[in-house]
Amino acid sequence: MSSVNWRLAGRSLKRDLRAADVRALFVALVLAVAAATMIAFFLDRLERGLERQAGQMLGGDLVLEQRDPFDDALRATLEQAGFVLSDQVDLVSMISQGERFQPTSLKAVDDVYPHYGVNRVDRGEGVEEISSGPPAGQAWADPRLAELLGLTLGERVQVGQTELAVTGIIEREADQSAGFGNFNPRLMINTADLDATGLVQPGSRIEFELLAAGSAQALEQVQPLLSRLREQGVEVRDVRVDRPQLGNALARAESYLSLAGLVAVLLAGVAVAMSTKRYVERHLDTAALLRCFGASQYQLVTIFGLQLLGLALAASLIGALLGLAGQALLLWLLVQFIPLPLPLPGFMPLGLGVLTALAVLVGFAGPTLLRIQQVSALKVLRRELDPLPPAGWLVVGTASAVFGALLWLYSGSVSLALGLLLGGAVVLGVLWVASGLLLGGVLALVARLSGATPWSQALRLGGRQLARRRQAGRGQLLAFSVTFFAMAMIVLVRGDLLTTWQSQLPDDTPNYFAINIQPSEREAFEAAIAPSVTTQSALYPMVRGRLVEIDGQAPREAVPESARGDGALRRELNLTWQAVLPEGNEIVAGQWFAAPRPAQGFMQEVEATPETDSPVPISVEAGLAERLGLTLGDSLAFSVGGDRIDTRITSLRSLDWDTFKPNFFVIFPPESLERFSHSYITAFYLPESEQGLIRQLVRDFPGVSLLNVEAILGQVRDVLGQVTRAVELILALVLLAGISVLYAALTASRPVRAHESGLLRVFGAGNRMISRVQGAEYALLGLASGLMGAALAELASAALYLYWLDLTPRPHVALWLVLPLGGALLVGVIGHMLSYSLRRQAPAASLGLLGEA
Amino acid sequence: MPQTPGVPHASPVLLAEKLSKAVRSGERSLTILKDLSLSVAQGESVAILGKSGAGKSTLLGLLAGLDTPSDGELSLFGHPLSRLDEDGRAALRAGRVGFVFQNFQLLPTLSALENVLLPLELSPRAGESQTARDWLERVGLGERIDHLPKQLSGGEQQRVAIARAFVADPELVFADEPTGNLDPDTGAQVIDLLFTLNREAGTTLILVTHDHALARRCDRCLRLAAGQLNAFDPAVEGGGDE
Repeated sequence: MSSVNWRLAGRSLKRDLRAADVRALFVALVLAVAAATMIAFFLDRLERGLERQAGQMLGGDLVLEQRDPFDDALRATLEQAGFVLSDQVDLVSMISQGERFQPTSLKAVDDVYPHYGVNRVDRGEGVEEISSGPPAGQAWADPRLAELLGLTLGERVQVGQTELAVTGIIEREADQSAGFGNFNPRLMINTADLDATGLVQPGSRIEFELLAAGSAQALEQVQPLLSRLREQGVEVRDVRVDRPQLGNALARAESYLSLAGLVAVLLAGVAVAMSTKRYVERHLDTAALLRCFGASQYQLVTIFGLQLLGLALAASLIGALLGLAGQALLLWLLVQFIPLPLPLPGFMPLGLGVLTALAVLVGFAGPTLLRIQQVSALKVLRRELDPLPPAGWLVVGTASAVFGALLWLYSGSVSLALGLLLGGAVVLGVLWVASGLLLGGVLALVARLSGATPWSQALRLGGRQLARRRQAGRGQLLAFSVTFFAMAMIVLVRGDLLTTWQSQLPDDTPNYFAINIQPSEREAFEAAIAPSVTTQSALYPMVRGRLVEIDGQAPREAVPESARGDGALRRELNLTWQAVLPEGNEIVAGQWFAAPRPAQGFMQEVEATPETDSPVPISVEAGLAERLGLTLGDSLAFSVGGDRIDTRITSLRSLDWDTFKPNFFVIFPPESLERFSHSYITAFYLPESEQGLIRQLVRDFPGVSLLNVEAILGQVRDVLGQVTRAVELILALVLLAGISVLYAALTASRPVRAHESGLLRVFGAGNRMISRVQGAEYALLGLASGLMGAALAELASAALYLYWLDLTPRPHVALWLVLPLGGALLVGVIGHMLSYSLRRQAPAASLGLLGEA
Repeated sequence: MPQTPGVPHASPVLLAEKLSKAVRSGERSLTILKDLSLSVAQGESVAILGKSGAGKSTLLGLLAGLDTPSDGELSLFGHPLSRLDEDGRAALRAGRVGFVFQNFQLLPTLSALENVLLPLELSPRAGESQTARDWLERVGLGERIDHLPKQLSGGEQQRVAIARAFVADPELVFADEPTGNLDPDTGAQVIDLLFTLNREAGTTLILVTHDHALARRCDRCLRLAAGQLNAFDPAVEGGGDE
């Protein structure tokens, strides 16, 4: 028996491909799969691209750092897991040339260095990209060191007990992990020369780093080892966790892409539901006949189920191929962003695509398809005996459940999926009522149209036709308004995202950080940069301090085991004091410092040392607090310049790390740190044309460290630009999915419309008249749908901004014009075009069409 | 004139006792068939005549097990239909009952051959495509087996339907106004074919029609009026249509 089902299913599928509803179904499924696979591919690659980039900044996918050399057992374990290892040693030492001495940050690299990226070095023939460090016997200096020591290429410098030839000036290091703690100028040497320098002695302050490059699987495999290392106090930087800089903007872009992909899938689902309805209606006669010849209900469902399954699989294949092509296009767009060749696309996104097609089919077509098994064999004798359509709640319920599961699958969040789903259900109920009222209102308005012009006549007749099919019209109105709403959402959110991104990183975003400005240099420095610089952040005082106690315990004992190797415990922290909350910071718990008491005014000079009995209130960055397990009221002790300061956390701050402005983990109130030696930090934007200033600053303020973040900034801008293009590509898919809904809806109502136009023609209406009436009917439907879509989009975008995208909502006036008019035009034109063949039919054929199988 | 038109036979193919069918029409209940009894013997051909709206199609639907009576008992091939559900009744029909409809009821997406194969495939004899070809030969369409229904004339379509009705060697064939959609000449050819094949195959035939001339060719004629079946002789009561 089962082979019969296959044969019957196969045969009718082959011939059915010519039917409009099957084509609509097919196109909708293809679009759903294409959107799903393309986005899955894209996010997969974006993820990998980001990791690659983060790996480059860190110097490897995994970086371990400690005070002692790493043992061989650890190296062997890592190598077994598939990592390639590279050794690096960092220390500060005095470098000399002739009579000049300079404390310098030495970085010794081996021959594997760098794992990713290239050094930009001037070896006398302009800046070159070199994928290695200096060879043994040579050293590369940064421009600041060269300036301070008056070095020229080829000259030798004294490093500990040995001499090395300076053969290159480093413009940019492959790994940018140096950070702001790096006050001293840089000299890069080869690890082979390290022994000869005699600088590596027990007790000297040396950081040994093990940089490992490897796959995500390798990283996964060594996680238990990493937790143990953290507990032992080794600083562990994992590329997946310590991803720098790109933060919020990309997280938003990913949210947005997932949202857009799901909208495309939802729209395709609506189209599938509509075309299935027509498909089932068209096949009821066949089903009745099969029933007559002895087919069981189960057999009917199997035959038609198999047919749709075949359709879904074919659609998955084509959709997945389109998705693959789409991701190739995306890859082409992203080629600058991903500097290294990536592995071939995996099978996971493909599987996801097929799963999506099947889920959409089952969820959106399932209940309607079951109607076919209800068909009575008696229908062969009495045509009017159609089975009842499935209950509305069943169709909506099944579709919601399946869509909810897809939401969960794609977003990875149950609460988000449930929230969207429940919200959607409530909205749908409200919409059903609203669509009835709206349709009634529009029709009442049209009915009052007077005038004998052909167009007002067409509008009246079209309105009446719409009114006759009130229920069906209501359903279509709902579908169209949801489509318009979704399309509007995508455009709205996209526009606002772009605006936000652009305002977040305006052209004059600071591209230089100046660190270590001494209080005595402060005014001179500001005066020096003022003529050339357009924007400058405030000058923040900065004091270096070490966290020595948490709630009376040694920090390593007090923090969670996983945080024992945290950089905040191992290094000196940059502390600042501020009277007011810095821009871009937000208090998330506790209170900002109270204003200083005015009575202190004239006593300030006298009371240079504040009371030390009561702990100083401090404000801690929320992320650091979470990592170290700190809460409000915890007491921390800092060691600053040999003194101990007892503090208590009185507030936690969240801050936006994306802003490229100086940010601080710990902020003290004014008058608590001034007595310690401090320097200032600031950030400013130096236009390309004013780059000469840098040389002047290096010369006039040799102590000041200038950090160029142009490269990082440029990378962030690149990523945003490319993600934007990717988003546009996805938007095109969503628009196509919307049009497929239109097509499916019009296909579903085609026979009834054919009957009506046949009747009109019998009663003497001409071609032009019928054409106008049809156009008017569709346009009215489009107008009403557009109005409702606009209302929905306005409400939903406000909610989305507040709760998901973290943006401030604003009204969209243009929406209320574009959607209703655009809707009328789009539905009007497409509907009119689809009815073209109907208008060419002889009335007899049109009238007979209703009864055809 | 006997009150019960059923001719008693040893093992009737079809036996209906006190069948009633009422349908609800709004508030009112409308009785279409009332206490109707019928027995059809194997190999017999029975014509059921009646005016439009007399309930002929309703009766045919009941007799073929496509519908259920409001009251009364009906058994097909000795199986009481009241004990079977819709699927059970369908299984009983599979391969044993053939149909010829007024509007042909060919599947538009299947070729002539595939349409004829359909009942075979739903019976235990799936896959015997040569049988289907033979039957199409016998109805004179051997050259047109690959044509779709819309490429065939009305008469040709009905001949495909007749081949389809007989292909699975059914014990019983129901014909519902088989010439209703055909012109008189074509209709006559189709009817000749139907009766010839029926005679050759020894099949039981139940034919619903309003055409007296057609009814006369059956072994027995019954008239449906006021929800009851009565024996009727078209030769005596004159030709013409109901």
